[in-house]
Amino acid sequence: MGKRATLNISTAGLEKLIAKLDELDGDVKNAVEKALDEAGKEITKDTLSALDKSNLPRQGEYSRGTTKQSVVQNPKVKWEGTTASIAVGFDYNKPGAGGLLITGTPKMRPDKPLNDMYKGKKYASNISKKMSKTVSDAIKARMGE
Amino acid sequence: MMQGTLGPDESYPDHFFTWWERTSYDGSHYDDKAVSCIYDYDINFYSIDPSYPYKYIREAKKLLKENGFILSGNGGAVASDEPTHTGRTIEALYSEREV
Repeated sequence: MGKRATLNISTAGLEKLIAKLDELDGDVKNAVEKALDEAGKEITKDTLSALDKSNLPRQGEYSRGTTKQSVVQNPKVKWEGTTASIAVGFDYNKPGAGGLLITGTPKMRPDKPLNDMYKGKKYASNISKKMSKTVSDAIKARMGE
Repeated sequence: MMQGTLGPDESYPDHFFTWWERTSYDGSHYDDKAVSCIYDYDINFYSIDPSYPYKYIREAKKLLKENGFILSGNGGAVASDEPTHTGRTIEALYSEREV
C-alpha cells in the first residue's frame, strides 16, 4: 500500500522556474530533488519538535509514543513523469498517526503549531518560497551569477 | 463553539459548528509596511445525520463569502470524538485592511 501521509508536496507551481533551468541546460532533477528534500527535512523537524512539547492537547492523550513513530522520517522524493513529490507529516498507515492533533475535535483543541503547519496558508507559503529559491539559485549558478 | 471547548463528559449536540483560528499574518505590503492582515480559520460541522455536514458546510461557505471571507472547494472530512457523528471542515480566510 502506498504511503498515506498528511501532506504531499509537489513541484506544482514551480513549472516556470524549472522550465527556465531546463532551457539553460541545468540539472533540473538535482535542483528539484534538493528543493523537495530540504522542504521534507524542515517539515519533519518542525513536526517532531511540535510533538516534543510538554503541553500537547489533552495531556498528550492523542500523542502517545506511537504518534512520534508515525511521523514520516527521511521522506523520499518520488517522480511520476515530469512531476516530483514528497510525502511528509504523519503516515496514516501506522497506528497513532496524529491527524487529530492537527484538526482537533470538539473535545480537544488542535495542537497550534501542527495546525498552523498543516492547515495554515502561511507555513505552506514559506515552504514554497524556499523551494522556489532553491531552484532560482540553481538558475543563477547556471548563468554564472 | 471553539474547537476543543466541549467538556470531556459533555454530550455532543445532534448538529453543531465549531471553529478554530490560526495565527494571523501580514497580507499585502506597501512601502515596507503591512497594509492588510490575514485571519485564517477552520470551520467544522458535526452531525448525527451524515448528509448534514455536506449541506451545512456549503451553506456556511455561502454565508461567509457573502460577508467577505475567502473559501475554496467544499471542504473535507474531519474526525469526531463520537462514533455517532460525522464531521466536515472547510478553511476560511479573511483579509482586513490595516489602518
